[in-house]
Amino acid sequence: MIAIENLVVQFGGVRPIDNLTATISAPVSGLIGPNGAGKTTLLNVLSGFVSPVQGAVKVDGRDLLALRPLDRVKSGLRRSFQTEQVVEDLTVAGNLYAIADHVTGPGERIEAVEAALAFTGLRGVADTLGKALNLFQRRLVELSKCLIGKPRLVLLDEPAAGLTDEESATLRELIMRIPDEFGAQVLLIDHDVELIRSMCTQTLVLDYGKMLALGPTEEVLASPDVRRAYLGEF
Amino acid sequence: MTAQNQTLARPMASPSAIRVPREVLVIPVVMAVFTAAVALLANSFWLTAATSAVALSLSVTGLAILYGQLGLVSLCQFALVGVGGWVTLRIGHAWHPPFEVSMLSGGIVAALVGLIFGIPALRLRGLYLALVTLMLAGGFQTIIGAWGFPDGGPGFLGRADGAGRAMLSRPDLAQDSVPYFVYVSIVATIGLVISQWHKLARPGRAWALIRKGEHVAIASGVNVLTYKAWAFALSGFLAGIAGALLAGNVGQLDGRAFTAFESLNLFALAVVGGVYNWYGALIAGLLLRAVPALLTDLGIDGYVTIGIFGVALFQALATAPAGIAGQISGLIARLTRKGQKP
Amino acid sequence: MNFLPFIISGLGIGAVYALSGVGLLVLFRATGVLNFAFGAIGAVGAHVAWQLMEWDYPLALAILAAVLVSTLVSFLYGRFLAPLLSYRDTVVRAVGTLALALFLIALMGVVWGELPRRLQFPTDQMYLTLFGVRLTFTRIIALVLAIVVVGGITVLLGTTRLGLDMRALANDRDLSAILGVRITRTETAAWIITGIFAGLGGLLLADLVRLQGTFLTFLVIPAIAAAILGQLRSLWVTAFAGLGIGVAEALLTPIDWISPYRSATPFVIALIAVMILGSTAQAALKDR
Repeated sequence: MIAIENLVVQFGGVRPIDNLTATISAPVSGLIGPNGAGKTTLLNVLSGFVSPVQGAVKVDGRDLLALRPLDRVKSGLRRSFQTEQVVEDLTVAGNLYAIADHVTGPGERIEAVEAALAFTGLRGVADTLGKALNLFQRRLVELSKCLIGKPRLVLLDEPAAGLTDEESATLRELIMRIPDEFGAQVLLIDHDVELIRSMCTQTLVLDYGKMLALGPTEEVLASPDVRRAYLGEF
Repeated sequence: MTAQNQTLARPMASPSAIRVPREVLVIPVVMAVFTAAVALLANSFWLTAATSAVALSLSVTGLAILYGQLGLVSLCQFALVGVGGWVTLRIGHAWHPPFEVSMLSGGIVAALVGLIFGIPALRLRGLYLALVTLMLAGGFQTIIGAWGFPDGGPGFLGRADGAGRAMLSRPDLAQDSVPYFVYVSIVATIGLVISQWHKLARPGRAWALIRKGEHVAIASGVNVLTYKAWAFALSGFLAGIAGALLAGNVGQLDGRAFTAFESLNLFALAVVGGVYNWYGALIAGLLLRAVPALLTDLGIDGYVTIGIFGVALFQALATAPAGIAGQISGLIARLTRKGQKP
Repeated sequence: MNFLPFIISGLGIGAVYALSGVGLLVLFRATGVLNFAFGAIGAVGAHVAWQLMEWDYPLALAILAAVLVSTLVSFLYGRFLAPLLSYRDTVVRAVGTLALALFLIALMGVVWGELPRRLQFPTDQMYLTLFGVRLTFTRIIALVLAIVVVGGITVLLGTTRLGLDMRALANDRDLSAILGVRITRTETAAWIITGIFAGLGGLLLADLVRLQGTFLTFLVIPAIAAAILGQLRSLWVTAFAGLGIGVAEALLTPIDWISPYRSATPFVIALIAVMILGSTAQAALKDR
């Protein structure tokens, strides 16, 4: 559970996040909003790359902002990035070991990497170099990285961007299995409203850094405010 | 591609497993062949050049770690070679310990200096790092020009005048040129293996992530500061050892030969040799020492070498960023792929 | 201790540093290339001038030839070689100029050798006496030239179309292309300008200190130091920084214990500048 209270992020005169208070509790939650609404900024605050000028964030009751970014990762925070960040010169396995090195104990590394590879179905390409992977495989590598070392909160930034419908469906199935199989909460940003509708039981809508709506996904997507601001309907 | 649930195959051994990967084993094998060939065929002039070349290739390996792995340009590597040489000479002349002790001291001090040099760089990137290291190389040039290298005298600077001047003695086992060349080759091989191991194991993966982006690295749990510092320290250590071996080669070092220009030259040749493969460093060392020697043999002006290096550097930058070693490895890959075609 | 003569001599070299720093900065701002070959380009010009004077050609011709040669070298690199690297990052493009520097050093070494020589201008013999210190005409010319040239560049950047294009490129290369700024033309103009500065700087430094390929090549380091103090952004701060570095270096000459190390002054100043200003100056280095 992510409990955000009066969060404010300020860069000069701009407030990408403007007094946000929200509690996100569903196992798989969505974060949507128009471009520039502050979605990635919120993820960056959670990761620790951006410091808020005001406010508090608690994850499962623990104060997140008091932890350094590295400590957050070590206590179970995982994320993917908007543009995939697979290291070209490492194999798929190498990319996974790169994070396993730092978030699992020495005896558990091989197991953790194997489990992630099995879950996303990348076992067959484990020895393929990053540069030889297609986009779907890269997105799967990004997802695999999030599953290593007892994840507790997985933040996904547009994980299905650029994928075909079939590939998105596969990814969707995988993400929905994460809370049960890995015990982690998932928060994902995406522009594909259908994807959000089919995966997330709860959705937070941001607009200009403020909360526009928060609640069960169907209700949120049906709300007139959301339809006006985000879906462009009048 | 659909995600099938595949049965868990026999777990793949982790890259840092007990089984030593082929990419590391190949180094001692190739170096042994190379060393044997040179030791048997070279005359004394070429032997000195080769000894120098192999020693220098260690310092290039350090550069390859910083630039090839992390994308950091260091323009003060030859200054660190000088630091290693200075410490080796000072300790060697003061206490006459076994050569290995002086050499390791040179390496350690150079590692520390490399780390100190690296501190302003830890938060800088790209061009500013290159400039800072260039400034440091310039500063070292001034200092070593004023101090000179120790040659048997008293005090901190260890400078002797006239008859008091001494040469550094070589290791007991390796007094003559051929044994010393083999000694240098062995030390270099160890250095190359250490460097390659780093690349293939945990540090290499962490460096690759840092190179991708600091945020990506942090998100993967990498302590960026620690790993960057480790790279600077390792690079400095290798440079220091190279300096020690060079000091042992001639018995002394000349303060006027450690200008900032030499560091620029070293970096240029590292790129030309190739920073992404271990043998790129060896190629760079050979280019740095063997090519000038060859031209001297042929009676060509030494400056022509520098001109060739300049052209080679630009060509490498524009068309072959992986350097000569990259071209070679590409060729090998194509040939082995052809061999595997059904 | 009378520091005045040292300040005076420092001003001369400082003017050269100022000139060079600004020449370097103009090119960097317009093209994103930090030109490590700046000193070497000037050195080639200075050697050409020396050679013509050895052959008894008139001084004016020698100077003109020097500046022309420097400008030509700079133009050729900027127009034909630099574009081969234009989509790489700043560091690679700077290392490209390093290749040029190596080539030019080799050229000078082969043609003229590394023997230090003196480049003498008649203005070395003419002097004013100011506060009891001799101020040679050469130094006065250096100072005046530095002011005129920096002022001229500021006017160019501020009032002409070319200046506007150069400022646009400095800000955002890709966007400028879309807006119709002719990139090749503008960048080539920047390389020509930097070549002129290099030629002038090389001539002056060869006269004030000595004519020697590798020594003059290293003029680029105090120039870079001055530019760093200007945070790779401000022309006038760079110019004053250059003056300051020259004076600081000269002031250390009479102080015995530090004198042998005074040539490290530009390095130390630049280091301190980067540590203090480094983070704020990062913005100037964003890859376009």
